[in-house]
Amino acid sequence: MHRKGWWVVAALMLALGLTLVTGPTMAADEFKIGVITSLSGDLATGGSVTKRGYDLWAKAVNAQGGIEIKGKKYPVRLIYGDDQSQPAQAASAAERLAAQEKVDAILGPYASGTTLAAAPVLEKYKIPMITGSAESPLIWKQKFRYTFGTIPPVNFTGSAAIKVLAALPQGPKTAVIYGTNDTFSKATAEAFQSTAEQVGIKVLRFNILPPKQDMTPLMSAAKVLNPDLIAFGGHDEELINLVKVLTQINFTPKALIMHYGVTEPAFAQALGKNANEVLGASVWTGSLPTKGTLGWPTAKAYADAAVAEYPKDPADYTQAASSAAGLVFQAALSQLAVAPPLDEAARTKLVEVLEKIDLQTFYGHVKFATEGDYYHSNAGLTPLMVQITGGKEAVVAPADSAQAKLVYPMTPWDKR
Amino acid sequence: MLILLPQAIVDGILLGGIYLTVAMGFSLAYGVLHVIDFAVGEWIMLGAFVGLTFTNWFHLDPLLSLPVVFVIFAAVGWMLQPLLQRVLSGSRGRPVLMALVFTFGLALAFRGSALTVFGIFTHSLNTALSQGSWHVNWGSFFLTIPLIRLAGLVYALAVIVVLNYLLKKTDFGLAVRAVAQHKEAAGLMGVDIKRTSAAVYGLYVGISAMTGVFIGAIVSLNASMGPDLSLFAFFVVVLAGMGYLSGVPWASFLLGLIQSFFLIYLNPSYVLLALFTILYGILLISPTGMFRKGV
Repeated sequence: MHRKGWWVVAALMLALGLTLVTGPTMAADEFKIGVITSLSGDLATGGSVTKRGYDLWAKAVNAQGGIEIKGKKYPVRLIYGDDQSQPAQAASAAERLAAQEKVDAILGPYASGTTLAAAPVLEKYKIPMITGSAESPLIWKQKFRYTFGTIPPVNFTGSAAIKVLAALPQGPKTAVIYGTNDTFSKATAEAFQSTAEQVGIKVLRFNILPPKQDMTPLMSAAKVLNPDLIAFGGHDEELINLVKVLTQINFTPKALIMHYGVTEPAFAQALGKNANEVLGASVWTGSLPTKGTLGWPTAKAYADAAVAEYPKDPADYTQAASSAAGLVFQAALSQLAVAPPLDEAARTKLVEVLEKIDLQTFYGHVKFATEGDYYHSNAGLTPLMVQITGGKEAVVAPADSAQAKLVYPMTPWDKR
Repeated sequence: MLILLPQAIVDGILLGGIYLTVAMGFSLAYGVLHVIDFAVGEWIMLGAFVGLTFTNWFHLDPLLSLPVVFVIFAAVGWMLQPLLQRVLSGSRGRPVLMALVFTFGLALAFRGSALTVFGIFTHSLNTALSQGSWHVNWGSFFLTIPLIRLAGLVYALAVIVVLNYLLKKTDFGLAVRAVAQHKEAAGLMGVDIKRTSAAVYGLYVGISAMTGVFIGAIVSLNASMGPDLSLFAFFVVVLAGMGYLSGVPWASFLLGLIQSFFLIYLNPSYVLLALFTILYGILLISPTGMFRKGV
């Protein structure tokens, strides 16, 4: 390049540098909300469910002109950071959103492992995060001051389902329990195990497996033990593979419970009739009789809005909880009444507001625990047990929100 | 748990059958073209999705899509090979490394496109064989053989037999072996190197795509399934000895059996650790693969 060329480049760099330096000090006319979630990698399916939830909220709030602060409405802009389904990438996404984008708040990752990696970074920058998805109890045990979650931990939701089964007249007496080796799945399996032992179900086998392991040899061994219950903690693809293995070796336990993933529409689509009668745990369905004071008025209104936006896939509880996370920020920011951008003092104040929030939404009651092992997770909800019925999820317990009767034992695969 | 012994062996062999289907095309491409194709998992993934599309359109059994999938992908491979050849035979330095980067790029592009076109969700190919299984009882011993896994194994063995015949008994095979041995000399003897290479690559892509239909039927399919499969294909081929096609079945069965025995009799949590420890052990003792016949 000629000497003159270099001068032009240097001048441009200088100009760019100046813009970067002066940029953030100017008053913003919008709230910058960062989103860290899995947009690629192994957990992209779940990651995009959270993204849909966050997007739906942003669209709804911006349709009304934004969040009102002292008579002026500030729209919301979501800024994405892809964690690539890896904890290390989640931490660097958090770093980028905090240091470069200077976001006011963050909507958190899909997975628990990535949430655990992003949270310490946000503690450092003092930026509040609400995750609409992560469910591992480990997150709340760490007592992160700036991290909140709208879904109760999995040991709370998962154990409720095992208790329902144990209370049945001919309920399961024996179980094999497996989980995949990631933060969420492992916590799920451990919750299943400890509850099963508590309620007197004998656990014949308990193992944590490497992700995407072929389950055939394990299930062949399980078939010999002939347990009443198979409980598995894992993500969508692994759950589909497990049901396929069980049908291939033609072993039907009396109950098959798998927590998250069965409520994803892809589960029933991929498995057809073999998805039916599989059990899962949830905290929300489109039919719950909730009354929202902010945003969507009922669960059904949200479900309809979601289908209008994404016609192929009905909303599941993760998507709903993600939209609810947005609503919680919306309520807290209005209460805080500080115009963007939020400085460190305002963000710390926002945490105090979040700790006191008591909000009825289409998703249900949101109130964060402020002490104990569930610190900053949502303590306002009742866990639901769902069963796939006719290719759709239906609530089967507790009795007051049940839509269908629990089918137990399962119909054998070859009699469907 | 001795009664599980026959089942452990059968499960191991059937699991090996899956690895075999994944690794055989990869080994062919390396043996003849000296290309380490890191897009093998993506060819498998694309084949599975074409099988799924075929099934959704015509409402026929996915296994009936095998010939269609083979023809489509063989043609794609045939047309793509000259590009790869250009990278491989260029006058710039390190053509092998360039080819590696090229296939890695292909893999990324395929995965990204598949995510966009087919979406993020996991699907399953449900064939008539999906749910069937044979049960055998001898006294206290018993066996369950899932039909679809058996079909996968039969498919893999059939491909091996056909490839063996093609390579050892036909003029085309003679040309392929000549190209694999010494490209320039083969050219001087009148072998059309470009056509032969393109045909081999087409064959490899076609086989890998058909494998995808089986993987989709045995386990499941989604746009991000490729990298794991590529990794396993690579390990099987390294274990067998790079480029030694006849070693691939034995290496696959060995991996399957180790996995199955570990899952049933030892601690399932450490199955991958055990697998790779054994693999590294073998490679330390015999770097050219378990038969010492690789390159």
